[in-house]
Amino acid sequence: MYDFDYYKPASVAEAARLLAAGDSKLLAGGMSLIPSLKMRLNRYSALVDLGAVLDIKGIRRDGNFLVIGAMTPHAVVAASAEVRKILPAIASLAEGIGDPLVRNRGTMGGSMANADPAADYPSAILGLGATVVTHLRQIAGDDFFKGVFETALQAGEIIKEVHFPIPQKAAYTKYRQPASRFALVGVFVSKSADGVRVAVTGAAPSVFRFTAAEAALAKRFDPAALDGITIKPDDLNSDIHASAEYRAHCVVEITRRAVLAAQ
Amino acid sequence: MSLTPKNHHIGQSVRRKEDLRLITGKGRFSDDVNLPGQAYAAMLRSPHAHARIRSIDSRKALAIPGVIAVLTGTDLRADGIKHIPYNVFTLHPAEVQLENTDGTPPFVTPCYSMAIEKARYVGEVVAMVIAQTVDMAKDGAEQIEVDYEVLPAVTATRAAAEPDAPRLWDNAASNVCVDAEVGAKEATAAAFARAAHIARIETWIQRVTGVPMEPRAAVGEYDPATQRYTLHAGSGGSVRLKKDLALILDVAEEKVRVLMDDVGGNFGTRGMIYPEFALTPWAARRIGRPVKWTCERHEAFVSDFQGRDLAVTAELALDADGNFLAMRGSNIGNSGGHTGSFTPLQKGVEIMSSIYRMPCAHFRARSVVSNTVPTRPYRSSGRPEVMFVMERLIDIAARDFGFDRVALRHRNLLKSTELPYTNPFGMLYDSGDYHDAMDKSLTLGDWAGFAARKAEAKQRGKCRGIGMANYVDTATGAPRERAEVTVHPDGRVDVVLGTISNGQGHETSFAQLVTEWLGVPFDSVRLITGDTDIVQVGGGTHSGRSMRMGSVVIWNSAKEIIAKGTRIAARLLENDPSVIQFDNGRFKVQGATPSISLFEVAAAAQRLKDLPDDLRGPLAAFSDESFNEASFPYGCHVCEVEIDPALGTLEIVKYSAVDDVGRAVNPMIIHGQVHGGIAQGVGQALWEQCYYDPASGQPLTGSFIDYAMPRADNFPFFDAEFTEVPCTTHPLGMRPAGEGGTTPALGVVINAVVDALSEFGVKHIEMPATPERIWRAIHDSKNIV
Repeated sequence: MYDFDYYKPASVAEAARLLAAGDSKLLAGGMSLIPSLKMRLNRYSALVDLGAVLDIKGIRRDGNFLVIGAMTPHAVVAASAEVRKILPAIASLAEGIGDPLVRNRGTMGGSMANADPAADYPSAILGLGATVVTHLRQIAGDDFFKGVFETALQAGEIIKEVHFPIPQKAAYTKYRQPASRFALVGVFVSKSADGVRVAVTGAAPSVFRFTAAEAALAKRFDPAALDGITIKPDDLNSDIHASAEYRAHCVVEITRRAVLAAQ
Repeated sequence: MSLTPKNHHIGQSVRRKEDLRLITGKGRFSDDVNLPGQAYAAMLRSPHAHARIRSIDSRKALAIPGVIAVLTGTDLRADGIKHIPYNVFTLHPAEVQLENTDGTPPFVTPCYSMAIEKARYVGEVVAMVIAQTVDMAKDGAEQIEVDYEVLPAVTATRAAAEPDAPRLWDNAASNVCVDAEVGAKEATAAAFARAAHIARIETWIQRVTGVPMEPRAAVGEYDPATQRYTLHAGSGGSVRLKKDLALILDVAEEKVRVLMDDVGGNFGTRGMIYPEFALTPWAARRIGRPVKWTCERHEAFVSDFQGRDLAVTAELALDADGNFLAMRGSNIGNSGGHTGSFTPLQKGVEIMSSIYRMPCAHFRARSVVSNTVPTRPYRSSGRPEVMFVMERLIDIAARDFGFDRVALRHRNLLKSTELPYTNPFGMLYDSGDYHDAMDKSLTLGDWAGFAARKAEAKQRGKCRGIGMANYVDTATGAPRERAEVTVHPDGRVDVVLGTISNGQGHETSFAQLVTEWLGVPFDSVRLITGDTDIVQVGGGTHSGRSMRMGSVVIWNSAKEIIAKGTRIAARLLENDPSVIQFDNGRFKVQGATPSISLFEVAAAAQRLKDLPDDLRGPLAAFSDESFNEASFPYGCHVCEVEIDPALGTLEIVKYSAVDDVGRAVNPMIIHGQVHGGIAQGVGQALWEQCYYDPASGQPLTGSFIDYAMPRADNFPFFDAEFTEVPCTTHPLGMRPAGEGGTTPALGVVINAVVDALSEFGVKHIEMPATPERIWRAIHDSKNIV
């Protein structure tokens, strides 16, 4: 690990000010950042730890939205009675992230900002059409993830919270890569008054909406509606764990299972 | 299995006395060793699979604050440091020796601890930086400028054997280092000519790595006053490491001391000397301070020796009734960038026919170098590979030619009355009841009830399959072992032994032996290993040798102690030795009540001035023996899987094992060994592989993110039992149990997977049987239909 300065501000404004100086990086749970530093894959002049910024940690209901603070650990989301009641798909998603250690330290905001192509939360952001609130603006969930480890966040922009619309039905189904147990293919489906959303993580360089499946499911929210629906492997990931062709097959199959789970 | 032992004797499931220490973080592993004034080493490793090193410029590195020295292969040679003395074959008299058919000696690469002129795999040490801290050493390593001429690389085993493959060693005619034949060529050809059926397989038992829980570490010291090197490093044994280190450092053996306490896993891949184990003491002498190096996990994936990697083409000839007539084929082992060990090739090809009646056989055995991490024997070296081949061939034959899998095995499995039996390669199997183990395993696995379970699974949309695999394992290893047992008057018994525990529970099992034979309290026994100033002789832990050999030399020592003690007790009890009885730790005159303890006798031996010379002094005995016969553990495993045909995902729903251990010392520890062994074997069958990019030779599995380890939730509870048919080559009847779990696991799992997919016409699945491979097999068969 290279040397860096370390700050632990108590407010978003203070964090933003510290972040503006030099080549600084925000530290949320650190579940991806710290290993990358230990392996000397990244180098920063300073880490700005958001751990003491308490007003972006927590869960609340705001009308027809579930609002989760960026610094809320996965374990807190998984155990939340509120989340389990109004949006259980998010609770089960959080419960399936990593291992207990990761869930106790890792946060939703950290996962989103990191934008790992196989992270779980991005599928919920797209799959529910959530809104990302930063200290500068609101970003539509559909516009947030831009590519491998790339988001719409500007330099120095801090995620405060995410507003998840509460759907009529939703489920997240994850097919785990055998080594990392990240999503080889993870599918978040939701059905609401606005229609059906199907978001896929793990299969491509970035989370994406499976529009053909959405159209079919909009007509009939049933696994059988997916018969004959396919996805082209051309833009999907291919690696030692799964070829693009197999991932394409799995995307449809996991979507089918997610729809079944959402019934 | 009883978890509440009646006592601490042989045969009891005594709780492991080392576990409280280990699970409460009080173990002392290599990285726990810290010496005053120590500096830290970081290794600069080759980023290229194959590259000529034109020059190394260390000036910028030396300018980094805290950097003490940068050492390269040039310095190593200039200092007269020798290459690593790999003993490439096992010369054990029970093994079949491989000799090149053209009469030339095998090509053995001169392997130095740092790359000389060329780097031959990603991860080979190119330079070492010594600094005040680990981070400073890493800073220095980043600043070393190496001018590489990148060369074409080859990693795949069969490809490396091709005449036009990129050549690793300029002074070798090809990458093929060994090209031998074993068995009877003409007789085998004749048998094939009259065969009614021929089953065939072409497969690659993929490369995996050992992944010990404790990464390697080494602390090297040099004392200029005594001109003595000391190495603190966990390994598979201390004595061999000391001898190898003395050869590399070019000093007398007494100028080297090796120390190790707890070792967190070996599995064979950690069993031999490593470059870093020579580099740290050498660097310590150069800089005048102890030097510590700790391997990080991502570094382990490119520098820990790897295992398996055998390409096999094999055929089995049968007559019309299903009797095996002969087998033949070709095995190619992959040594990696250096020829560290041809033993897996050797130990595999000599038992290709397993424990089946095989009138004749002929195999070609080759080993190649390639641009990959060097390989070493890995748990049950060579045998899981060939058992996989044999058990697959039998299932293929059964399926293709209409035999029942169980009946075909029963027909050809050697009967106990046929033992001892010399297999067609010349290996002499001592004893056993193979049919009994197979029948018990089939019962345990409820083979008879499988059809109903398969039908039930079908209702749930799952394809259920069952497989079986018999196995034999050749336990040989370094033949010589020594024990020194000393009874101290204060109530302690010290046992000095030349093996080392890598997690197997030696402190417990060996204490049980001493408790049994000397009748002393279990807690009075202290096992001393891992310090070459105390342990002078011993072969370490591999090839099922620790208990197999350790028991005999401890037993011999115990008998001598009792004999000496009897004479001393006779003097104390004022009677003739012939009427002295030793029972449960006490001596007494037959029929009389007064008795004295072994410890009182030990005190008398030191106190009494007028005892004969051989009795005076510490009550101690030693035994130093060479074991030139092999032992052949065997057994049968049954596995059941359920496959989800939509995704190709698989669940192991039932796993049953019956292993013969001859005589069990600690059933609980044996079951632990079997369970871990099964997990390691199933790991290879289903998940693990060291992937290399075929074009660049870059390793693609550099961390646990990509290298898929088996985990507890991948398994059902195992139904494991053992049988105890006394081994006739062991005076106490024991057979090793450490490798039996792994040896049949590859074959039994793949046999179950292929059985589950039989409805789709699938005939074979390569390892690891990933969901994609299974899905494709189903998918392709559907396309054909």
